[in-house]
Amino acid sequence: MVRRTLSLVTLMLVLSALPVAASQFIDMPFDRVAREANLVVRGTIGETWSAWDDAHEVIFTYATVRVNRYFGETTGPDTVIIREVGGTVDGYTQEAIGFPVIRRGENVVLMLSRWEDGADYRIHAFNQGKYLVRQRDGGEVLIADPFQQGDERMGRERGVRTQALDEAPGLGIEEFARMVDDARVGVGHDRGRNQQQ
Amino acid sequence: MNRNRILSIAIITIILVASAEPALAYVLLSPRRRWATTPISVRTYNVGNSTITDGSGGVNAVVSAIRVWGIISSSSTSSAAVRGSAPATIMLNTNGGLCSGNCLAATLTGYYVTQAGDDRIYDADVYTNTAIQFYSSGEPGCSGEYDINGIMAHEVGHVIGIGHSNVSGATMYPSVSACNTANRTLATDDFNAVNDLY
Repeated sequence: MVRRTLSLVTLMLVLSALPVAASQFIDMPFDRVAREANLVVRGTIGETWSAWDDAHEVIFTYATVRVNRYFGETTGPDTVIIREVGGTVDGYTQEAIGFPVIRRGENVVLMLSRWEDGADYRIHAFNQGKYLVRQRDGGEVLIADPFQQGDERMGRERGVRTQALDEAPGLGIEEFARMVDDARVGVGHDRGRNQQQ
Repeated sequence: MNRNRILSIAIITIILVASAEPALAYVLLSPRRRWATTPISVRTYNVGNSTITDGSGGVNAVVSAIRVWGIISSSSTSSAAVRGSAPATIMLNTNGGLCSGNCLAATLTGYYVTQAGDDRIYDADVYTNTAIQFYSSGEPGCSGEYDINGIMAHEVGHVIGIGHSNVSGATMYPSVSACNTANRTLATDDFNAVNDLY
């Protein structure tokens, strides 16, 4: 009970310490995000590329994720391809404001679900399904990503957010693993934050 | 402790507190971008949202609500959004294949990056999660639904080039709760943002 409470408090700090920049999303409890995800992985973003869809209406960015760990009972291949709305093709950029950003070289933990057409994976629950991995005190901690599509990426605001990232409280990756296990067997960790972000 | 010392400590404390927090202000989308001319034409597709029972599925309410920005030429249209092509179009009847799950509404915006640092927005369309319950100013009450007037006022802020503000109470603040109608009215911070861009 104490461990769960501490986990909840830490998770809330992780999620609240950085500037919130989601667009209009309803906040979901961690348990629900973890339970609904098809895959929960720790990996590194590899190659990324953007392309129009077949109807030439939406630009998607694809990325390979080199997976080095699956959480919960999930398992899968060493490399997973994810697809998110937004990207740049021939100088034209499309952004879905507030949606997750995919950047090559990022060390991440992702909760993934299949797109409705089932072709490949997307980050489940938008930014609630993405954490950046940082090394601290010899271990890995998870931090909420302060950057989303449409956000300031240069200048003062970037500096503020990068600094905030370095100083943000992190959730230990093993604690995260236990929380995912608990969520996927139905042991509640939190009731979610109020309303939406 | 004399008065001067107390005053000095108070001033230093205020300075420290103020410098510890990021400045409270609007944020423009990055890179900075705007439409080439004003007023900006934003049309609302005339097939409304099935959860809104005001007689037009929220279309009339949204057409009126987004005028709050002052630089919007707002009307309804029988033409659905064409992505990548102006005018900006609000779709209340579809999630566009983008906005599902916990997404309430999403703005998909398109621009060319130039060297000038003052890019032009070519298109921006707004999609609505049809699995969510909404209500409009044309309905008498609210029960756990989300205010389509305020939500679309917020999304049109994105359409014209504004990001999220950290000023609580601003329409562009990234948090809204069910039955909250505060986003229908712009705050000073929102006006500052639009005046910065246009």
